[in-house]
Amino acid sequence: MGEPGLVRQPASESQSSKRRGVFKKHFWGYMFLLPAVVIFILFLWVPIAKGALYSFYEIDFVNGNTFVGLDNYVRVFHDPDVWTAIKNTLYYMLLTVIIGFWVPIVASIAISELRRFQGFARIAAYLPFVVPGVVLYGMWRWMYDPVGPINGLLSSLGVDPVSFISDSRWSMVAIVFMETWQQFGSAMLIYLAGVLSIPRDWYEAAEIDGAGVWSRIRHITLPSMRSLIILMFILQVIGTSQAYQSQLALLDGGPNNATLTYALLIVKYAFTRLDYGTATALGMLMFIVLSLVGLLQYKLNKEEYER
Amino acid sequence: MSKQPERGILSDSDLKKPLNRVVYGLMVFGILVMIVTMLYPILMTMFNGLKTNQEVNTFPPHFFPETWNWSNFKEGWEYIDLPMFLKNTLFVFVGNLVMTIFVLGLASFSISRLKVPYHRAIYFFILMTLFIPASSYMIPNFVNLKDLGLLNTFWAFWLPAGASAYYFLLMKNFFDGIHPEIFEAARIDGASEINSYIRIAVPLSVPIFATLAIFIFSGAWNDWFWPSLVLHSEEKYTLATAIYKYVINARSMDNSIKFAILFMVMVPPIFVFLVFQRFIMRSVSLSAVKG
Repeated sequence: MGEPGLVRQPASESQSSKRRGVFKKHFWGYMFLLPAVVIFILFLWVPIAKGALYSFYEIDFVNGNTFVGLDNYVRVFHDPDVWTAIKNTLYYMLLTVIIGFWVPIVASIAISELRRFQGFARIAAYLPFVVPGVVLYGMWRWMYDPVGPINGLLSSLGVDPVSFISDSRWSMVAIVFMETWQQFGSAMLIYLAGVLSIPRDWYEAAEIDGAGVWSRIRHITLPSMRSLIILMFILQVIGTSQAYQSQLALLDGGPNNATLTYALLIVKYAFTRLDYGTATALGMLMFIVLSLVGLLQYKLNKEEYER
Repeated sequence: MSKQPERGILSDSDLKKPLNRVVYGLMVFGILVMIVTMLYPILMTMFNGLKTNQEVNTFPPHFFPETWNWSNFKEGWEYIDLPMFLKNTLFVFVGNLVMTIFVLGLASFSISRLKVPYHRAIYFFILMTLFIPASSYMIPNFVNLKDLGLLNTFWAFWLPAGASAYYFLLMKNFFDGIHPEIFEAARIDGASEINSYIRIAVPLSVPIFATLAIFIFSGAWNDWFWPSLVLHSEEKYTLATAIYKYVINARSMDNSIKFAILFMVMVPPIFVFLVFQRFIMRSVSLSAVKG
């Protein structure tokens, strides 16, 4: 806004006779926008609107759709799998916070303190992030295998082998550990940019005032990263609440529904049970809950600015 | 950063205290453990792809192969029709890239530079979609593609590729950063909007197009789930989908061949990353700063 060189229409010119002139003047501006607007309507807004609509319909590709009122929603609330899925999703989100959330924060502070080989450490931490998902699944299925490397390590330490994937107590932990391995590097880089942007003189001044290393981290580094940490936390909550791909690829929601997340249940309703209506209703419910989280984020952000 | 004193949280005098030295040493050790943990599974995949199948399955496993069986890679290459799936993936990648640059490039240029009446409303209309969680409309999206008759065609990837608010935002921010005087001069010299986009904006936008190309490449290369829903016929599968269906879910398959295939699939993105690593890591940090 208000940049130099920007041509504005003076208000007095906006008479109806000039309308055509205005349109002609902006013809190419609108033509440039047209493809994007059409594509956004056709492939985002139409599906979103259809989502709201289809949740009240029974979808039948052959005989056409029939309006069923709230039946889909009633089915959702009577399906015990839905409650299992909600519980599993919350458990999964909790695990990603306990196992995964703090790792990139600690790693970014530690790597920022490296005097040598900092670039190498960054590359090594980020490298798993570029490993394609399907390779990740094949790789970690073997890592977790009863005769794989992790159990090899455990047996050399004298611990009994653990079947990480097929034991329902371990399966979700195994997935979260695998995903942390793959994804923490990208979060680490984001935090690292934050850590490195803290002016060094602050540490200098704190040291002269007699602050120890730990109190410098506690009173300078962490407070400077505060808003970034909150942002990353909200992004992680939004992201992990929709997770299903690893659960689907590694375990198909098993063993005994232990890794059946909410989004995976949507997929299963649609493509296993072929009940697209109920799947859409589940999606709508998710949309409502996540919008509330989004609103909360917006409110928190606003408070942050007003402080 | 250049003017700051040569120190981090720790200064040189801190490192002279014995307790700090021990803690610093532990920290360095911790980073070393992390690096080994990061690299081990990747190297394991490579070395397992070089072992005999029997050696892969021995317990406890050892890291380096006893004999180097390069023939596994040849067998893996022929196990499924990798060149065909590779061609499909590249097809999706190129189409998505062209679509993104054409549709979103023009739109972000218009929003950023041409400022038509109501451009704020259109901007808002595009950005709103960022806040709608993708899995909540995944199923209607699929049904919509079916209604449009796009299932089992590559258009089901190419056309929706133009509907990314995130890439739109990246390009708009980039165009915002170009000096307006350049376009002003072109306009005075009588260049049309099309000309000033093609002759000025596009050549200046090579860095942002390269960033997008890397993102879109990794998207096309990695996504296995959506193509497995949208595509039905085997000769259209993308590489990741084919690997998922025929390698990850294969019941009876030699582990050594499996690892050889997985390694071959992993090499191109790792290669792209290592070549462009400075560039990629900078754009990762930037994306966070801009929110």
